[in-house]
Amino acid sequence: MRKVIIIPTAIAVLVVAAFATANLYRVPTLVFPFEVERPAEVRSVEYIVEGVRCRGTSMGFVKMTAEIPGMISVTTYARNNSAIVEYDPTLTDPDSIREAFEALVEREGVRYQYFRALSQRDID
Amino acid sequence: MRVLRALVQIAFLAGTVALMVRGLAGLTPNTCEAYCPFGGVAALFPLARYGQYTCRLTELNVSLMVSVFVLTIATKKSFCSWVCPFGTVSEWLSRAGRKVVGRSFHLPDRPDRLAMNLRYVVLVGALALTWTVWKGDLGFRAYDPFYILFTWGGHGTAAFSFYILFAILAAAVLVPFFWCRYLCPLGAVMDPLSRYGGLRIRRNPEACTDCRECDRVCPHQIPISQEIEVTARNCTNCLECVVECPEKGALELSCYGK
Repeated sequence: MRKVIIIPTAIAVLVVAAFATANLYRVPTLVFPFEVERPAEVRSVEYIVEGVRCRGTSMGFVKMTAEIPGMISVTTYARNNSAIVEYDPTLTDPDSIREAFEALVEREGVRYQYFRALSQRDID
Repeated sequence: MRVLRALVQIAFLAGTVALMVRGLAGLTPNTCEAYCPFGGVAALFPLARYGQYTCRLTELNVSLMVSVFVLTIATKKSFCSWVCPFGTVSEWLSRAGRKVVGRSFHLPDRPDRLAMNLRYVVLVGALALTWTVWKGDLGFRAYDPFYILFTWGGHGTAAFSFYILFAILAAAVLVPFFWCRYLCPLGAVMDPLSRYGGLRIRRNPEACTDCRECDRVCPHQIPISQEIEVTARNCTNCLECVVECPEKGALELSCYGK
């Protein structure tokens, strides 16, 4: 009955393989292009955001930034809480975007902060 | 064999409980659903159609789904009896039930076979609702005993979710593997792959004395004494039959016939 060892061995190998392969590719949780004409110059910034955990919270992030002039698109990755924002540098900048999504939201008389940037970096 | 399997089960159950405790303590936003292979199945349609994920699903769910499928092709449904934490809880509950009540209950053959098809209904319903009515939200969470138990009423669940959980756990006390046998949608996905699982129980008719102890102890009611090789889709390679067989060499594991 030495063959029984095949089962735990296969389980161990396949669990390790799953974690390893999951890091080899990245698919967005949400891709949201705003309905604006694409300007000549577009810049991107990536935020790691506490609060971007799923598709629903990603939509909340979009809602918080939707009113900023110059927003072109938002792409989120729930696995590492990342939000990549494309913007028109002649109309806005990463700090204004950050300020917008970190703003407090009032709900039933209580003010909440749904999103908080943990880091921010420009993408070339 | 029993000890080895119990150790693997305890390791996965402990990991899941640790994740649940960390989640309840607010130390991590991740829940057990981040590691659920069925999440990979739920993610397939939005991935193929829109190139995006559903709800909180990520690459890990898809990779774990593929791993579980490969494991099933190699070792039949050993995921269910060696890895799945809800399977472990169900198994322990049915053992406790047998000790307290003195026996376990099984449906007669024909209704049992029909009831097993409920898993396909649950599978189609869960996926169809996720992809249409719930519009990408994992609405199935509110009905999923694995999620309800291991998040202890996490996001998306309601009071009725606990009624469902307790009903399924109570049923598992009396009917072994009630959820796994009749309702688990992941089990339904694994069914066709399990038929071709390479690692199978093989009965040696020359050593077998037809005592039918294997039939009696099989928690999935597979008539092992009537088979040469167990190809049944619901065999989870729990190896109870092999452990309990009184004749040495009558039941053995075979790997692709060898």
